Amino acid sequence: MTPGQVLLFAVGGLANAAYLFIVAAGLSLVFGALRVINMAHGSLYMIAAFVTVVIGNQLGAGLGFWGGMLVAVAVAGAIGGVVEVLVLRRVYGREHLVQLLGTYAVSLIIAGAVRIVFGANYRTIVSPIPGHLDLGGYSYASYSLFMIAAAIAIGCAVWAMLYRTSLGRNIRAAVADPDLLNATGVNVTRLYTTVFMIGAALAGLGGSIVAPSQAVGSSIDTDVLVLAFAISVIGGLGSIVGSAVGALIVGMVISFGLVIPATNPFALAFVFIIMTAVLIVRPRGLFGLPES
Amino acid sequence: MLKVEGLNVRYGKSHVVFDFSVEVEDGKLLAVLGRNGAGKTTIIRGITGLLPGASGSVSVGGRDMSGWPAHRRTRGGVAYVPSGARCFQNLTVDENLEIASHANGGDRGWTKKRVWELFPKLEGLKNNMAGGLSGGERQMLALGRALMGNPRVMLLDEPTEGLAPVLVQSIGTLLGTLKSTGVSILLAEQNHQMALRVADRAAFIEKGRIVEVLPAARARDSEVLHRILGV
Repeated sequence: MTPGQVLLFAVGGLANAAYLFIVAAGLSLVFGALRVINMAHGSLYMIAAFVTVVIGNQLGAGLGFWGGMLVAVAVAGAIGGVVEVLVLRRVYGREHLVQLLGTYAVSLIIAGAVRIVFGANYRTIVSPIPGHLDLGGYSYASYSLFMIAAAIAIGCAVWAMLYRTSLGRNIRAAVADPDLLNATGVNVTRLYTTVFMIGAALAGLGGSIVAPSQAVGSSIDTDVLVLAFAISVIGGLGSIVGSAVGALIVGMVISFGLVIPATNPFALAFVFIIMTAVLIVRPRGLFGLPES
Repeated sequence: MLKVEGLNVRYGKSHVVFDFSVEVEDGKLLAVLGRNGAGKTTIIRGITGLLPGASGSVSVGGRDMSGWPAHRRTRGGVAYVPSGARCFQNLTVDENLEIASHANGGDRGWTKKRVWELFPKLEGLKNNMAGGLSGGERQMLALGRALMGNPRVMLLDEPTEGLAPVLVQSIGTLLGTLKSTGVSILLAEQNHQMALRVADRAAFIEKGRIVEVLPAARARDSEVLHRILGV
């Protein structure tokens, strides 16, 4: 492999890592504060991808995608709010199995609804940032570079929200002691809804951003959920830095794994081999906190 | 004034607090004394609104708060200082205070500056994580956090537990000062000597029920004190 090829595949890996990070950060944020593993996280991603494509194509090339993204993120956040109020409030504090079943039921309902509303065909949308950058004899899609920049910006925004706003301070306090937070005068019920909506909106943002780079179909929910879980397990559930590192590892492994002929058939398997190794050596993940 | 009427607490099928009724006037302190497991913590948590299995009525300054969730009661002037000097360990000292400020203080308005004056040691630690503080420092922080909510009523659950005698004494002094500002205080304590020094009255608790309520002066060498606390 030449240095030029390495750079090419590394940028591909970064682009993978970019959208996976956005999705996994939402999953991790929700788990950190609410202690609930959201099996419907991929479903919110899928809805957003479909909404982006349909609205974006309706509005037409150019600005259409951005309009679609705006609507998609709002739709994902709103559905998240409804799911939190109707389903999650009934399962907080219960054993993880009940929570898994509850959110899994939501994912099945959404999957069915998506098939009814959008059909079973794959859909696509043209990239809102066409063209490519030529460097060292290889060409890089401008949209991939945009995805990477967007993920960095979103990561910084989530960090700033957590560490520079009163909402973030309350979220961190809820991670440590929700009971005490309640008795300190913060409406924790409402805070949980807000956190879940932010997590859902991040899933939506991921689905929206990925739409121009992939065909959008009715199975992308489980595809992304499985990878987001692997990232969260590797990086540590509840840690945004962990999500970033986990996404980088998974993104790179997939990118390089697919282009090396010998590893091509096993590219995805490597993700889970790494995940298993992390589980054996450090069960809480690279940056995860032990469950209290 | 804090008025609690007919507070009952149930955990599932077991009934643990029975018809707890007390009044604590402005600027007065009621000590709630009893052995470990007598129900002191449950009574306090029942008043905060944190227990779903609690029934009965709670009012502060004539405002009925029965049925209010905990966060509303806090904003309505009820401050809770849980046992074990509980703080948000992953937040800085500064953030622990910030999180409790609700800007409803009026003339009693507590600010971080006033908390630093009260506990000068905390100011030097303000950027430290609360989890790294000593037990005494965390108790100061827990008290400071409660004050930031500008309480009319304070519910303290064993604030002197595990503290050095000199700190126990300064907490006693602080409670006296708070009383003079008109705050009603309900203090659950194992340390009956300290509690009776600052209390106006004492309620003795056994198996979730009030056995007797006495003026503090009479409680000090009462038969019920010896019987219930075994001293």
